[in-house]
Amino acid sequence: MTGLSFRLVQASLAALFALFPAAAFAQVGQPVQGQLGFQDSVTPIMDSIVSFHDHLLMWVITGIVLMVLVLLIIVILRFNQRTNPVPARFTHNTLIEVVWTVVPVLILIVIAIPSFGVLADQETVPDGERLYLGSAIFSGGNVEVPEPTLTIKATGYQWYWGYEYVDDGFDFVSVMLNDEQLATTKPDEPRLLAVDQEIVVPVNTTVRVLVTAADVLHAFAVPSFGIKVDAVPGRLNETWFNARKTGMYYGQCSELCGKDHAFMPIAVRVVEQDQYDAWLAAAETGDFTGANMLLAQAD
Amino acid sequence: MAAHTKNHDYHLVDLSPWPLLGGIAAFILAVGGIVLMHADMPWLFWAGVVAVLYVMFGWWSDVVREAETGHHTPVVQIHHRYGMILFIGSEVMFFVAWFWAYFDAAFYPDEIIQEARTAFTGGMWPPQGVEVFDPWHLPLFNTLVLLLSGTTITWAHNALLENDREGLKWGLALTVLLGVLFTCVQVIEYSQAHFSFSGNIYGATFFMATGFHGFHIFIGTIFLIVCLVRAIAGQFTPKQHLGLEFAAWYWHFVDVVWLFLFAAIYVWGSWGATIAQH
Amino acid sequence: MAQAQAELAHDNHGTPTGWKRWFYSTNHKDIGTLYLYFAIFAGVIGGALSGFMRWELAEPGIQIFPGLAQLVYGVSADASIDAGKHMFNVFTTAHGLIMVFFVVMPAVIGGFGNWFVPLMIGAPDMAFPRMNNISFWLLPSALLLLLISLFMEGPPGAMGSGGGWTVYPPYATAGQPGPAVDFVILSIHIAGASSILGAINFITTIFNMRAPGMTMFKMPLFPWAVLVTAFLLLIALPVLAGAITMLLTDRNFGTAFFDPAGGGDPILYQHLFWFFGHPEVYIMILPGFGMISHIISTFSRKPIFGYLAMVYAMIAIGAVGFIVWAHHMYTSGISLDTQRYFVAATMIIAVPTGVKIFSWIATMWGGSIRFTTPMLWAIGFIFLFTVGGVTGVVLANAGADRALHDTYYVVAHFHYVLSLGAVFTIFAGWYYWFPKMYGVMYNEFLGKLHFWIMFIGVNLIFFPQHFLGLAGMPRRYIDYPDAYTFWNSVSSWGYVVTIVGMFVFLVAMIDAWSRKRKAADNPWGEGATTLEWTLSSPPPYHQFENLPRFK
Ligand code: HEA
Ligand code: HEA
Ligand code: CUA
Ligand SMILES: [Cu+2]
Repeated sequence: MTGLSFRLVQASLAALFALFPAAAFAQVGQPVQGQLGFQDSVTPIMDSIVSFHDHLLMWVITGIVLMVLVLLIIVILRFNQRTNPVPARFTHNTLIEVVWTVVPVLILIVIAIPSFGVLADQETVPDGERLYLGSAIFSGGNVEVPEPTLTIKATGYQWYWGYEYVDDGFDFVSVMLNDEQLATTKPDEPRLLAVDQEIVVPVNTTVRVLVTAADVLHAFAVPSFGIKVDAVPGRLNETWFNARKTGMYYGQCSELCGKDHAFMPIAVRVVEQDQYDAWLAAAETGDFTGANMLLAQAD
Repeated sequence: MAAHTKNHDYHLVDLSPWPLLGGIAAFILAVGGIVLMHADMPWLFWAGVVAVLYVMFGWWSDVVREAETGHHTPVVQIHHRYGMILFIGSEVMFFVAWFWAYFDAAFYPDEIIQEARTAFTGGMWPPQGVEVFDPWHLPLFNTLVLLLSGTTITWAHNALLENDREGLKWGLALTVLLGVLFTCVQVIEYSQAHFSFSGNIYGATFFMATGFHGFHIFIGTIFLIVCLVRAIAGQFTPKQHLGLEFAAWYWHFVDVVWLFLFAAIYVWGSWGATIAQH
Repeated sequence: MAQAQAELAHDNHGTPTGWKRWFYSTNHKDIGTLYLYFAIFAGVIGGALSGFMRWELAEPGIQIFPGLAQLVYGVSADASIDAGKHMFNVFTTAHGLIMVFFVVMPAVIGGFGNWFVPLMIGAPDMAFPRMNNISFWLLPSALLLLLISLFMEGPPGAMGSGGGWTVYPPYATAGQPGPAVDFVILSIHIAGASSILGAINFITTIFNMRAPGMTMFKMPLFPWAVLVTAFLLLIALPVLAGAITMLLTDRNFGTAFFDPAGGGDPILYQHLFWFFGHPEVYIMILPGFGMISHIISTFSRKPIFGYLAMVYAMIAIGAVGFIVWAHHMYTSGISLDTQRYFVAATMIIAVPTGVKIFSWIATMWGGSIRFTTPMLWAIGFIFLFTVGGVTGVVLANAGADRALHDTYYVVAHFHYVLSLGAVFTIFAGWYYWFPKMYGVMYNEFLGKLHFWIMFIGVNLIFFPQHFLGLAGMPRRYIDYPDAYTFWNSVSSWGYVVTIVGMFVFLVAMIDAWSRKRKAADNPWGEGATTLEWTLSSPPPYHQFENLPRFK
């Protein structure tokens, strides 16, 4: 199924979800009830993952599964003991054997070509010159991405995240809101995803994320950015994103880290550059309440 | 089985209590080990050790008895050979894990993303501050001891093949002595280490790799002693002496592992490093 | 064969009776039976654990585990939320470990391997009948250690090891200082020793005890599958033993293998674990591949298509299986080039696996198929394994795995190849060989009913998990954002269906054992050509006292 058919099935399921009180209106940055595919993409990296998966991998694997299914059905209908009482005795057919060895190889090569491109994009921090694939996964790359201008160091703790704005010299921790806090402070935000202090970054800016952990393994992941990288004590892993749309983007810790593994989400708030500048100025003084107020007013 | 007339040379072993007891002994040993580590209460662990040894003794006594009563037909002997080779193969893979750990640190002591490791090692191998053994001192001596023991065990084997019982016993006795000597030297070496077992990757990989090797030397030595006792008791014939052959294979295996340890950890691993002085 | 009759006459001589027959056994069939019962016993536990997980996940919020923790551990109501959260992880961990080490491996290798490798190669028993028995008797000890671990302290103040079946440090070292993890480690050690000894036994048996005239390339595919599996075990398990020994010393003796502060590296453990772990997944499926080949051929009344290619495909899967391990570690921070290599290597495995799928279909092609219960399981397997296999190919692409790693997509993938793959082969083999092992027939209607209910149930459980994974739901979560509710509840309802299926299985077995419909020596007719069908049902205590000659 491709993106299109995904949406078709999704639409037909919509009625079902009306049964669910929280049935969500389409929203970026978080999952939607009954969703069949990926969360909406807002970065070139996730664009290429979506393209690669929805427009290539899904076709290939659906095709293979359907082919196997059709072959099985043919065999079941044509070669059962009623329709074919006398079995054939053949055990070889060199041609067909060569075909079913070579054709999968070819299919895999077709998969591998964009696969390597998608992978290399993810693992290469932009230098301002390199072109990225975006959703055109078979092209040589035509999406321009600027060099990173912001570096955030994310540190996993049991069980919350610590963020350091490396160049601006301040840091804070980000803890999930429990149900009470959620109801009182951020009633519009989703349970288990909302945090007390999210990361704030400017839109259309390349952000480099350095990821590490203080105690056990964790993993920093934001689905709509297409990033996921393990937080390993003693190791400084790196990833990057460049979000093209303002809004809240949620992710969740993606490496088993103990009892509250499910309760240390990642929240990234993407804002306009001027909002970010204002926020930053306040945040640098340590006044996060004030900084957040500025953002709230701008909304 | 008496009631049956089997027309093949395979060995259909009689019912035996050892496997069940072995399973139970392993359980006691495991629980004992944990109790030892967490509650500092050693008796259950030692009970487990005794139980395992008891099962091994009982089991292998049965095997020896079966060998002596003609159950080990040529085809059964082939089975045993396969079994031993495969077992040694699995042991090789066990050591692969320790070498892997060693090379993981030794090849990459200076990766930038591995902040903590690089800070610890100072970007070099062996890590900064670690004073290693002089490979050309006791380790070299021990290498020679093991190589020599490889020749004495071959001597014992060949002596048996020529039905020279004296040569067999002497060869075995010398091999045992060399094995014990190796262990003693290793103990002395350990006692002089300028790095510790805990808290650093050099000590961990060094002591666990060489330590497991030492443990295998210990097992191999016991294996050889059993063979010596059996040789003195008049067992083994030039035609049938699997126990001896397996002891020899095992011994060669630990010998070869040592050569790799010596080359990788002692010699290559001390390249340009600070050598401890005593 | 005349000799089969002669043996039947002997049947009651020299058969040990009473408890010694089962506790002191040196008979491959009795030991195989022990293994199968053990697998069923462990399967009930593993299945029940997953039931609690599905129950908890049926709706958002934390439902049952706090209460369960109060019930099982007697913690106070205040402490029960935290205890329950950890308990969920403990259940996931135990479920994974039990299903892998105490259900699938004992069933396919210890159970069917023991029963049918000697029979199919015309051997009177295994090469080391007594060692065979310790391979079995180590398992109850290992399972017991695992079960004890549930009641030992793991992280400070909580019970059980909750680090996943992968036991990654530092959560498995510094994170859970209590003895629970040590129990798990030693459980795996002992189960591993059992498998290594078993592997030695199978390799020796298969190489040296084939009936006169049976060359390697005349040997049936099931022994071939077990042979390849045994080599995987022999090579992979000692490395795991090393890895978990390092865990043990890091935990208890202060070594720094995985401790970055002492120059160690947590990622090293992942390499060692997956060097074992990936071959392990083929260890669980290859014997099933072997069984499926026989079942397909038997009920199509047609010889296996492309026998040689089937053999080489298994060898290729086994060999390539050793050089793809880091596809489980794409997000761990390994370099771009390393990831590129593992992408390429991993995808290659699809080719020999495809050869097997297509050869099974070609075996059926032109055949005269009878849809008996084992055949239904086999056909179901082919289809569902393909579904699980192709999602594996998706995951093989590091670029796509970035979005899917550690989500329910992975959970869906591996249950399709395990719970709907390996377990389907177990049931296929169970029904196929049931008449041979017990000398009685099962009821076809009940067998088929079991199949259809299970088929629907497990698909309901696991297909929706693909959607959850794509939408980003991480695995090993006791609670999830409300948007994931719908598919989770479908998945949990699927479990209910599955349990009904398992209940039908129980009924089918009670029916078969109580009705005692005598099974013929070869109930499947001319399609069943391998040696076990030349013997009586059940076979004599010692078969092939005159070795069969193989043309
Ligand atoms: C029986 C067990 C089994 C089997 C057989 C497989 C088979 C495969 N697996 Fe799977 N896998 C697991 C059990 C298994 N796996 C488990 C337990 C985990 C998770 C462990 C954990 O983290 O807890 C896992 C995880 C896992 C990952 C890591 C995901 C992650 O954590 O992010 C990956 C990534 O590459 C992967 C890939 C594959 C591939 C490529 C195959 C291939 O072998 C599949 C090949 C088969 C086919 C492709 C179908 C048939 C072929 C054709 C019809 C021919 C045509 C096909 C093409 C041209 C594509 N598996
Ligand atoms: C063979 C392996 C196997 C099998 C069969 C299953 C079966 C099932 N699994 Fe599981 N599962 C794993 C291996 C397996 N699983 C692993 C490795 C993990 C990862 C653990 C981790 O993250 O660390 C996992 C994790 C896992 C999760 C994710 C948990 C999490 O991330 O928090 C879930 C959630 O729904 C789940 C559900 C189920 C269900 C509902 C079933 C079943 O209930 C389906 C129903 C099937 C049965 C009830 C039959 C069982 C009986 C037998 C097989 C015996 C038959 C024997 C003979 C006839 C001889 N499993
Ligand atoms: Cu932090 Cu999972
Ligand atoms: Cu794998």
